[in-house]
Amino acid sequence: MDLDRWLWAVTFILDAGLIFLLLVRRNHRAFPFFFAYMLLNLIQGVALIAIYRFWGFSSSLAMKVGWGSQGLVTAGRALAVAEICHRILAEFRGIWRLAWRLLVGAITLVALYAGAVSQGKWQFAILNLDRGLELAMATALVFLFLFAVYYEVPVESTLRTLSIGFFLFSSFRVLNDTILERWLRQYATVWSLLGSLAFIVSLALWNWALRQAQPKKTFKPELLPQGSYRELVPEMNERLKKLNEQLSYLWRPEGKNI
Amino acid sequence: MSLSLLLFLGPVVILLLLFVWLLRKSNGQVGAASVGSLEEEFGGSHVTFLRQARQALSKEDYDFVSGKIPREMQRRMRQERKRIALSYLLALRGEFHKLLRTARVIAALSPEITGVQELERLRLTAIFLLRYRILWISLRAGFAPLPQISNLSNLLSGLSVRLEAAMKELGERAAQVTEIVSSDHRRRIHPV
Repeated sequence: MDLDRWLWAVTFILDAGLIFLLLVRRNHRAFPFFFAYMLLNLIQGVALIAIYRFWGFSSSLAMKVGWGSQGLVTAGRALAVAEICHRILAEFRGIWRLAWRLLVGAITLVALYAGAVSQGKWQFAILNLDRGLELAMATALVFLFLFAVYYEVPVESTLRTLSIGFFLFSSFRVLNDTILERWLRQYATVWSLLGSLAFIVSLALWNWALRQAQPKKTFKPELLPQGSYRELVPEMNERLKKLNEQLSYLWRPEGKNI
Repeated sequence: MSLSLLLFLGPVVILLLLFVWLLRKSNGQVGAASVGSLEEEFGGSHVTFLRQARQALSKEDYDFVSGKIPREMQRRMRQERKRIALSYLLALRGEFHKLLRTARVIAALSPEITGVQELERLRLTAIFLLRYRILWISLRAGFAPLPQISNLSNLLSGLSVRLEAAMKELGERAAQVTEIVSSDHRRRIHPV
């Protein structure tokens, strides 16, 4: 058995194991989109193994099913990432409303950037789309943690580990796709092997993260009354503005002696 | 290395570094955003210390003493005043951060926030930190604009006292909510 097949086998075992774990621990209720994504992955893997076996790796059917199903799997992953964002921030209603708009804005900008700097050849269209989405997902995760750190929102260890898995996989895929675009023929086999390895690492992380049952809902923070923000924050900002003005006075030359 | 590779490698490396830094930062903030943390934040203040520092740095005191002591003593006095000024600035930054943290936690715990206010605070923070750094370097180099610093501390102390009162009120309201919730919870456990 060659290395490629070993990696496929390990991926299949980890993927199936994770689905089993999600069902046994009833975590599919807490993470329905993540569960759907894992299921899609497993179905894609089984279908591709069958196609490679009967029609061959280089057949047109393998290409069509491989790249076509990849769109579905990537969309599933995007939803799973969105689910993590929602689970971390949604209970903080005020910042969630602001965060999702900024996240969508950032994702759109990154996808546009990825499209603009990609090669215009039609044969790279799916590859470019895939890479743009992966870069957008990695950016979304960074934005999510930026929000969590800035607003001191606690992040459960399970969600941290799931996020690390998604981030590593997405950023690795961006690099891998970029190298494939440059050295298509020489790199195709290595690209496939490295892609499988990255996915195995993420799968191992996700298995570890979901080894225990998770609550269906994350903890509910004790929110302040409706008017507190309008009452206090604009005044605080006004004071901060005055502090800045005061600091700017300190640069005046007349205060030079100590 | 091709341009395409650089255009994707660069953002990925930046994202990776940011992600690692954010993971490390988020590690120690379990349950930080809460009304309880706001009350703790206002438990101790540098305001009393700032009043003493302001007195020690007053220009009148320096002018009065400097004409009556030898040169060596004057040099030592300048060094001492510089040290106090640096501590003073550090304490002011502490007060500033306290205020910022409170505003952030209030935003996190509010059911509605406005993007304009949040972005404004972000902008003000960036400007403050830049000015603070420049002042810090200026003070280290022997530059100390004392009268304006005293205005700054007045401004902060007034705000801190008012916010402290507001936070206390919010804390009391939150405690009432907790009490209602927990008594309801107790009733559910002991229905008799």
